Amino acid sequence: MAKDLILLENISKAYGDQVILDDLNLSIHENSFVTILGPSGCGKTTTLRIIGGFESPDSGRVIFDGKDITSLAPNKRQLNTVFQKYALFTHMTIAENIAFGLKIKNKTDQYIKDKIKYALKLVNLEGFEKRMPDSLSGGQQQRVAIARAIVNEPKVLLLDEPLGALDLKLRQDMQYELIRLKNELGITFIYVTHDQEEALTMSDHIVVMNQGYIQQEGSPETIYNEPENAFVADFIGDSNIIPAVMVRDELVNILGTNFACVDKGFGENKPVDVVIRPEDVELVKAGSGTLPGVVKNVIFKGVHYEMEVEAGGYEWLVHSTRMAEAGREIDICVDPFNIQVMKKPQSEDEEAIAIDV
Amino acid sequence: MKKFLERFYMGLILVFMYLPIVTMIVLSFNASKSRARWGGFTFKWYLNLFGDSEIINALANTMTIALISTLVATVIGTLTCVALMGVGRKSRAFIMGITNIPMINADIVTGISLMLLFRFLHMNTGFITVLIAHITFNIPYVMLSVMPRMKTINPSVYEAALDLGAEPFFAFRKTILPDLMPAVLSGAMMAFTMSLDDFIITYFTKGSGFDTLSTKIYNEVKRGIQPEIYALSAIIFLMVIVIMLGSRIMRYNKAKRAGSKEDSYAAKKRLPIGKTIAVIALAVVMITAGLVFGGVFRSKSNQVYVYNWGEYIDPEVIEIFQEETGIEVVYDEFESNEIMYAKLASDGAAYDVVCPSDYMISKLIGEDMLSPLDWDELPYAKENLDEAYMQSAAQFDPGNKYTIPNFCGTVGILYNKTMVDGPVNSWDILWDPKYKGSILMQDSVRDAFMVALARNGYSINSTDRMELEKAAADLIAQKPLVQAYVIDQVRDKMIGGEAALGVIYSGEAVYTQRENPDLEYVIPDEGSNVWLDGWCITKDARHKENALKWINFLCREDIALKNFEFVTYTTPNKKAQELIEDESIKNSEVAFPSEESLSNCEVYQYLGNDADKIYNDLWKKVKAAE
Amino acid sequence: MFKKSKASAALVSPYIAWSVIFIVVPLIMILFYGLSDTSGAFTFDNVAAILTPENSKALALAMVLSVISTFICFMIAYPLGMILASNKVSSQGIITTLFILPMWMNFLLRTLAWMTLLENKGVINGILSFFGLPQISVINTPAAIVIGMVYNFLPFMILPIYNSLARIDDNVISAARDLGANALQTFFRITLPLTVPGILSGITMVFIPALTTFAISTMMGGSKILLIGNVIEQEFTLVYDWNMGSGLSLVLMVFIVISMVVSALTEQKGDN
Repeated sequence: MAKDLILLENISKAYGDQVILDDLNLSIHENSFVTILGPSGCGKTTTLRIIGGFESPDSGRVIFDGKDITSLAPNKRQLNTVFQKYALFTHMTIAENIAFGLKIKNKTDQYIKDKIKYALKLVNLEGFEKRMPDSLSGGQQQRVAIARAIVNEPKVLLLDEPLGALDLKLRQDMQYELIRLKNELGITFIYVTHDQEEALTMSDHIVVMNQGYIQQEGSPETIYNEPENAFVADFIGDSNIIPAVMVRDELVNILGTNFACVDKGFGENKPVDVVIRPEDVELVKAGSGTLPGVVKNVIFKGVHYEMEVEAGGYEWLVHSTRMAEAGREIDICVDPFNIQVMKKPQSEDEEAIAIDV
Repeated sequence: MKKFLERFYMGLILVFMYLPIVTMIVLSFNASKSRARWGGFTFKWYLNLFGDSEIINALANTMTIALISTLVATVIGTLTCVALMGVGRKSRAFIMGITNIPMINADIVTGISLMLLFRFLHMNTGFITVLIAHITFNIPYVMLSVMPRMKTINPSVYEAALDLGAEPFFAFRKTILPDLMPAVLSGAMMAFTMSLDDFIITYFTKGSGFDTLSTKIYNEVKRGIQPEIYALSAIIFLMVIVIMLGSRIMRYNKAKRAGSKEDSYAAKKRLPIGKTIAVIALAVVMITAGLVFGGVFRSKSNQVYVYNWGEYIDPEVIEIFQEETGIEVVYDEFESNEIMYAKLASDGAAYDVVCPSDYMISKLIGEDMLSPLDWDELPYAKENLDEAYMQSAAQFDPGNKYTIPNFCGTVGILYNKTMVDGPVNSWDILWDPKYKGSILMQDSVRDAFMVALARNGYSINSTDRMELEKAAADLIAQKPLVQAYVIDQVRDKMIGGEAALGVIYSGEAVYTQRENPDLEYVIPDEGSNVWLDGWCITKDARHKENALKWINFLCREDIALKNFEFVTYTTPNKKAQELIEDESIKNSEVAFPSEESLSNCEVYQYLGNDADKIYNDLWKKVKAAE
Repeated sequence: MFKKSKASAALVSPYIAWSVIFIVVPLIMILFYGLSDTSGAFTFDNVAAILTPENSKALALAMVLSVISTFICFMIAYPLGMILASNKVSSQGIITTLFILPMWMNFLLRTLAWMTLLENKGVINGILSFFGLPQISVINTPAAIVIGMVYNFLPFMILPIYNSLARIDDNVISAARDLGANALQTFFRITLPLTVPGILSGITMVFIPALTTFAISTMMGGSKILLIGNVIEQEFTLVYDWNMGSGLSLVLMVFIVISMVVSALTEQKGDN
């Protein structure tokens, strides 16, 4: 078990009446790639800025490597940040940008020169020393921003939606690049994004946030396959979230039909929500499945077909490599392991969390 | 703590910025003319202001010039920016370079250069020249606001519109203009502001009989601060606030409308058109009103352009003349003979009738700048003027061909009895360090040198280089003691107790004594200047007949009396003298000095161009000294 | 890019005609007058006249006062711009407007206001004497002229500096802090260099009018203090020597050309 490098304890932050973070607790392991995922306004950037020292929490503590750094100025912290829209110094050359932190620390010229060379090689921008930031493409600027941060040899690199401004192809390339970088550098990455695909691709550990609360944390697989509530389920990938009744342990009634499942401990005849991923819905010949339905719509998506199926008064989203043409009557069946049962929100507060997506 | 410091700093600067404005607003309600004392609450300055047609005219002119110049500059500037996109890169850079010139160039250089052009073209300076000048310096503000925006506009939108069959202008109006509009408006706003605020360029291009608010205020301030100007400030400030708030509210409403979901496309389309029409209608109304009140449309034929000393006529006299003759008087004031000369020399037709003094008249005659008078048209002058004064006038105007004496007087010291000890009888007191900072000197070359020459016992018409240099050295030595070099402001400052001693013309003494009984006028024993000024008609006058009527009218005994009672200088009009009822004035030694007190007073003579140059050069040395 | 076309050239031509007649020709006329004597013969005397003690003194004093005024304006405006730019509240627009508002008061009224305050028997001395405090005598001194310049031209410094500060991405500042710079280092290495264009445009917008003013020096200086603007003005309105006035104007234009070159250079740098 890796040790905890950063601990956030009971962090709260509000701007005027608006509560951004409410009693947040989070621990981040050394050498992990942690992604904080959530919609805009969920408090993820504020969390990052509190770790970076650009905001101070109203209450709570930030522990770094066993020391309380809550009120330490950002320039004294052993971590560096890659900002949204790069935040390069437009009046300096690329080399000057990268050298900035080192010059502040009064490193020798030779050391700085070597570091610039090393960092530019690391981000595949050799020979760009004399260029000005404005003459670079978005992807290149992003690499400079990363190079500028890592030459300072931080223990933790904070990345605030660094790929947000790039186009899709570039974004995918950069994802691999970041994973490579992290492995080469062997340091902790804390990555903030609203893009679930990015989060699932790169992270060791995902923290899903909404409205200032952590909704769920865990490995990408756990988050995807076992969402703890409707918000997480809906936010991570496409899902069918259906109101249901837990008949007893391992049996749930969905839309009037009983399905076998693996969940226990919800009590008997309790209302719940179930999450079924579109690729987990199997379409079988009419009469041979659990729930009868009709295919409404089919779209070819390359890898799979995306279908809308009406069954039990609900429009199911189904992904399958086998097509069932529109109008066809079919049956739905679901493997018990693929039915994720979640508690219904109880308080109004939780309801709000569930609805606001 | 940081927040507090920031607020404190902002507060401090706000105080610095608004304290002067608030002060003026408070003073606009002060019944006392004094700036240091509260004399009770009054609206009278506002009433006076609304009654002052000259200031209202100037205000109307300012608005008209600002509106028209902004409109023209916005149209030309925007069109040019659009058209420039279709011009080669190099020529565009070149044109933008020229456009930058009026922005970066000093106003004084722009103003002078335009003045030289207008004089060269013999354009009548006035409304049109000021308008041209304002358009010229406004176009760059529009272009520099529109150009950057224009560069970001994607031409394919316009091309798409053309492709779909739109006429070029229609395509432009529907595709490019809406995108440009914010930049066009902010450019227009900037241009409007600059036009309203301009003083220097207007000052050099305005010519005769035309004032904007800036030039009007400049003249008023030179004469002393009138509380009416405070009232004007308060009104302008109120207008600024209303416009500011109005535009904010409009923007706020717009934002709200944009936010509301019921906003239909039709409503979006209709509203701006309605607003545009409203704005255009408002502009048209204001421009017409401005043109009417500003007097741009006034008939050019039945006028007379008069150029007179400041505070040298009873305003009612002008009104009576206009009523009786139907001739419109365009009236401007000058502060010194030299200023009058420079104006006349640069534009001989600027004025029909002027009122210089003795030495200046002989200079004008010598340079053939006056036209001889037709005495047959001047029956009152023939009848009423004292022969003795005609003879004095003949000294500088042999044969009385060019001049009708207007007033005469002396130059002396006005002092405040509560601030100066003992009797004043010598110019030496103006060199007494005891009165450091309390002495006012005349800001005109001859009068200033007269004081120093007389003090040394030299002739006040000296052309001796040594004597003049001694006089200049004395003036330089005196400079640290002098509070200010002023002309008409002496009156106001002496009344207000701002200074203890001032060199002043005799007529002002009577007026100031009425306002402040502590003041006393004296002609020093060393002697002084006695002067006579008179009405002359310029050689290039465009309204010679009206000018004769004007002069003749002023010689009518009742008018001369009225004028005398207002300005209180010695009148050469013997019939008017007989009509004076006020005994204290009739016997006033100041208004009608005795032979004896005039015994060592001299008249200024014209000393020739070479001596003029020596005087001017030495005077400049005095003014530039520490 | 729009296509080159004859129509564009036709649309540009009115403005070209206008700017040639009313911008270029008048400047040539200054050049002509400045380099000739009253008979029209070529002479360099009018320009060389700047070297006479009176004229060079007026120029030197104008430079000193306008440099001081520009510096004061800068020192006031920069912190103010930073405060205004850092204000994230919704009232930001109103607060900024508040600092620009006096610009819409007439220039001469603004100057008149300070005359009223600073006079010997003016408002400030009235208040001081009411409390039995010693009187100030600032009017008709160079200090009064500096006050008049600062007050009149301050908004022209605030606006461009505020604009350039507001344009800096907050994250750029955060980035500098993140990379180890303390507040002071961040200011001098990042904030200040990034606002150089704004500062330069503020400086030209204050320095040139201050250098060439004659109204402020006349009103606040009691005609005791002669600046180069007064000298030129009087050559035209008092001495009636257009050649001399034009010659001295040519000297002023040297400063203007310098500032044009500087602004062109910074613009070029910005384009790269």
